[in-house]
Amino acid sequence: MSKKVLVSFLVLVMALSLSPAFSAVKNSAGKILPPDAAPLEYQVLRVMSQPATTLDWFISVYKRTNEANNYFGEPLVRLNKNFEIVPAAATRWTVSKDGLTWTFYLDKNIKWSDGTPLTAEDFVFSFQLAADPKHGWDFAWFYSPIKNWDKAVRGEVPPSAIGVKQGKDPYTLVITTEYPAPYLPMMMLYSTPLSKKAYEKYGPYYNNDPKTSVSCGPYILEEWTKDKQIVFRINKNYGGRVKPYLEKIIVTFGDPGTSAFKAYLAGEIDICGYSNSQIFTPADLEVIEKDPELSKQFHQGFGDFRTFYLGFDCYNPPFNDLRVRKAFAYAIDKEAIVNTIIKKQGIVAYGFLMPGFPGANPEGLKNIYTYNPELAKKLLAEAGYPDGKGFPVLDMWVRSDLASPTVVAAANAIGAMLKKNLGIDVKITVKETKTFMDALNAHKLQFYLVSYGMDYLDQSNMLGIWVSTGRHAWKNERFDKLVKEASALLDKKKRDEMFKEAEKILVEDVGGIFLWHQTPGALWKPYVKGKDLEPDKYGITALHWPGIEGVGTTIFSIYISKDVLKYRK
Amino acid sequence: MRDVIRVYKKNKLAVFGFFVISIIIVVAILADVISPYRYDEIDLLSFLQPPSIKHPFGTDSIGRDLMTRIIYGARTSLIVGFSVQFIAVGIGVPLGLLAGFYGGRVDYWISRLVEVMTAFPSLLFAIFLMVWLGNGLLNIIIALGVTSWVGICRVTRAKTLEIKSETFVEAAEALGASNSYILFKTIFPNIVRPIIVMIGLGIPQAIFGEASLSFLGFGISDPMPSWGKMIQESLGYLQGYWYIGFFPTLSLAITVLCFNFVADGLRDALDPRMYGRRV
Amino acid sequence: MIGYIIRRILGLVIVIFLASLITFFLMHAIPGGPFDELKMPLPAEVKAQILKKYGLDKPVWEQYIRYIWRALHGDFGVPFQSPTETVTSLIARVWPVTLQIGAITIVLSFTIGILLGILSALRQNTWIDYLVTTIATLGTTVPNFVIAIWLMLIFSVTLRWLPTGGWGEPKHLVLPVLSYFLAPTAVIARFVKVNFLEELRKDYVRTARAKGLPERTVIFKHVFRNALVPIITLLGPMIPDLATGSVFIEVTFRVPGLGKFFYTSAFNRDYPMIVAMILLIAVLWGITYLVTDIIYAFIDPRITFT
Repeated sequence: MSKKVLVSFLVLVMALSLSPAFSAVKNSAGKILPPDAAPLEYQVLRVMSQPATTLDWFISVYKRTNEANNYFGEPLVRLNKNFEIVPAAATRWTVSKDGLTWTFYLDKNIKWSDGTPLTAEDFVFSFQLAADPKHGWDFAWFYSPIKNWDKAVRGEVPPSAIGVKQGKDPYTLVITTEYPAPYLPMMMLYSTPLSKKAYEKYGPYYNNDPKTSVSCGPYILEEWTKDKQIVFRINKNYGGRVKPYLEKIIVTFGDPGTSAFKAYLAGEIDICGYSNSQIFTPADLEVIEKDPELSKQFHQGFGDFRTFYLGFDCYNPPFNDLRVRKAFAYAIDKEAIVNTIIKKQGIVAYGFLMPGFPGANPEGLKNIYTYNPELAKKLLAEAGYPDGKGFPVLDMWVRSDLASPTVVAAANAIGAMLKKNLGIDVKITVKETKTFMDALNAHKLQFYLVSYGMDYLDQSNMLGIWVSTGRHAWKNERFDKLVKEASALLDKKKRDEMFKEAEKILVEDVGGIFLWHQTPGALWKPYVKGKDLEPDKYGITALHWPGIEGVGTTIFSIYISKDVLKYRK
Repeated sequence: MRDVIRVYKKNKLAVFGFFVISIIIVVAILADVISPYRYDEIDLLSFLQPPSIKHPFGTDSIGRDLMTRIIYGARTSLIVGFSVQFIAVGIGVPLGLLAGFYGGRVDYWISRLVEVMTAFPSLLFAIFLMVWLGNGLLNIIIALGVTSWVGICRVTRAKTLEIKSETFVEAAEALGASNSYILFKTIFPNIVRPIIVMIGLGIPQAIFGEASLSFLGFGISDPMPSWGKMIQESLGYLQGYWYIGFFPTLSLAITVLCFNFVADGLRDALDPRMYGRRV
Repeated sequence: MIGYIIRRILGLVIVIFLASLITFFLMHAIPGGPFDELKMPLPAEVKAQILKKYGLDKPVWEQYIRYIWRALHGDFGVPFQSPTETVTSLIARVWPVTLQIGAITIVLSFTIGILLGILSALRQNTWIDYLVTTIATLGTTVPNFVIAIWLMLIFSVTLRWLPTGGWGEPKHLVLPVLSYFLAPTAVIARFVKVNFLEELRKDYVRTARAKGLPERTVIFKHVFRNALVPIITLLGPMIPDLATGSVFIEVTFRVPGLGKFFYTSAFNRDYPMIVAMILLIAVLWGITYLVTDIIYAFIDPRITFT
């Protein structure tokens, strides 16, 4: 090779490497960043979350930081943007003909960050721990369909008797259920395992210290400063399917309701907005709407398919009289509440299942109760309380963790409507969460406003909470029977029909008055980009459940674009 | 007594303060008659409206008239402020007098009681009481009253100690005056002034206390307003809707200021040795 | 004197005992427990196990005796909110944060408060007096959480000079201290003014003036000392107040201090933490009172120990 050729070759190589096509930057995990991505050191996402005690689902559901479930660990399955189940720790799964036995085949490429392979043993260990009454797990009701689960939780059989076992080899996990549960893979969104080895060596909180922490997910723990922040760093040795772009995720602890919007405006965090609570006040929403920049940064999502509703003590007077409950249902103008108070953050609810949720039936339920003050008055009079005379003064409890300014305003509006249309005096009391749940679970709560968000995308979850053994003081035998039978049915069409009938009963019998479905908004800085911020099949651009702090399953397509240079120093 | 009124009248600010507070009290009492709307009356078609002729102070997020709510809020806030201070004075002054006057064992045990009470962080204690008793106006007054007599008790005790050692009390004692004579005729008039100052400061504190409790979800149940609650609710609306927080804060500020004026005037007027003199 | 101090320390022990006893029974009287049932009721067996795990299945009096026994041995238990550490290490971690803010606030508010108070007393009914009255009114009429949010909106969101919250650098101190500082400053200024005016009217001042003493000598040698004595009664209660922080300020500015634990502990039914904090406050108040009383007597010779 002559010298001349060599020089021109070198020039060519240099020229090419300067051109965009060849300037591909790889991040620490070896993933090529998109061409418009900012330099590597800017690939950091900052979010705000309530302080946490653990990262692990199986240690405590309510004391963990919500993001971690997704990107710190590896559940058996994940959801994509269109709410379809996609493989994660399990590459595929099969079900036996009777619908009782599920076999999950684990991805052999996934290893813990200490080098140990992720095996069925870790899953079996995690589930057995959760079923162990000695562990006192705060979500122990959840896996009830799994064989022997409830018995183990009650201490009647040892935790080793539950239907979660290793299959023919360490990479096969077999889960058996008490009855056919077609929604079982969906429940496995929540199966981020504990490392058996680390747990046995360092105890339940091995993940609270970077020195003892092990992860099998896309991120590992870099720093945990108590009451201040958690820093996740990209896992270079991650063997799974969802390799991310972002080098770091910084979770600052704070009370999002108090300070997230302000911190976002001050440029201290990149995302603001949450799927399980409405942190934006009606005034914040107007501020966003009036500001052309902010309104472009606002993305609305499904959240966790949360429905706000009024509940009653249907076992005792006055609400044991269906006419009274019907009068209430006719007396509340939901449209006005949503248009004026909830605005962008919700849509009118006709039933319990939100449009987009499997089996939702808004059209079928729409006309059961429409706003009709005259009829409401008539029904109340028939029940023996003409113009509200003789009706007790009601105290509407609102659970404090849900009582954002928006929700409290809505509660006040409902109180005023009941006063105006029915002549009933209603006090509204924001009640501290533990006191509220203590009374609700004991079926002692007369009248309340609360909400429920899904745990997995199946009617058996949302409608299941209304069976008479659940938290509500409402009982309908036909409903109980329908939900129980349909839950265990494999025939999808028949199943959907039965659930549809059940939901109709729930609405007609006024088990609750369903007010609005929450469509929470999140703000994303303009430099936060990614495929999953593009519209999904419903045209929704926000990130999706699971993942409460606005950071959903789809975090893995997110990167920081060059625009960031204009915002961050 | 006539002297007191005469001296008080000389202080123009004190007269003004008394006048304003009287108006506020009358307004609070007549709330049902003079309010342009009902405090729980919503109008979902005219929400978050800026001040206008129809709604002089604007409307809140569900279209309730803010002027009406401030008028009713005056009632709640004044009831809380006065009742809590009534409890505080009722407990604090007698205990402080006893402790300061008798000293010794009485003082020792009363001081321990004061310390037990202060050992509870008042907010935590109030939260416990509220969870235990349940929400409601009376319970708020109890929870705040039980935690707020300590300051008055300490000041009373300190003042009593101080005055007890002054010559005129010693003289009265030497002349064989009875304990009750010394307590009520010589010591009590002298502690009235600091107590009035304490009440002047205590009333807004009680109103704040109520606001803090409602901030944490233990306030007076909606839809009944109070100034503290209205201020607390306005926090989420500060960006863009200044008037929602401005008027309740202004009402509270004016009231407190006037209480201070009255306290100042009374202080001068009640001073038994300083009739009519100003520095 | 020493006998007096010993008696007071004995008194402190009684106070601590009573305060912990009342707290213990009160906190067990309220509904809820250290378990979470946000969505669905937990199976009764799980609930029973959680109670057993924390020793809450025993009668309250027995729990109390056990707790006190362990506390006497330096073991205050493990906070439910943060099970990876002990109550002692949690407090050791968060308390210095609150103390730091509290100390700065006390120094600032006393310096400025006394200064403003004296100024407005000496220049009654002038613009200084009115300015002080205005500040005092603002400080006592606007709750500190409102001030905090205003400061945040102005200095963080609009001007972007200071962070909205956080901890670790000096800039994180500014807004919390500013929000705290107004109210105590207002109270101090008012008290100083009232006391100063009162002293100025006393006979000895007139005598001193009549004797032809320079005004400065009168004020700084005589009035100053007598007028400032009652301020110690103010300083006393203020120290434990600021040393324990405020949930509102700490939550608003994301300060990892002790203050917010008074609230979160109650909400989480974190029994070990609640009792430990009550004990801490009781000791703090006891010592402050003792020291205040001694100083008070030291400055004002008319008071004797009994």
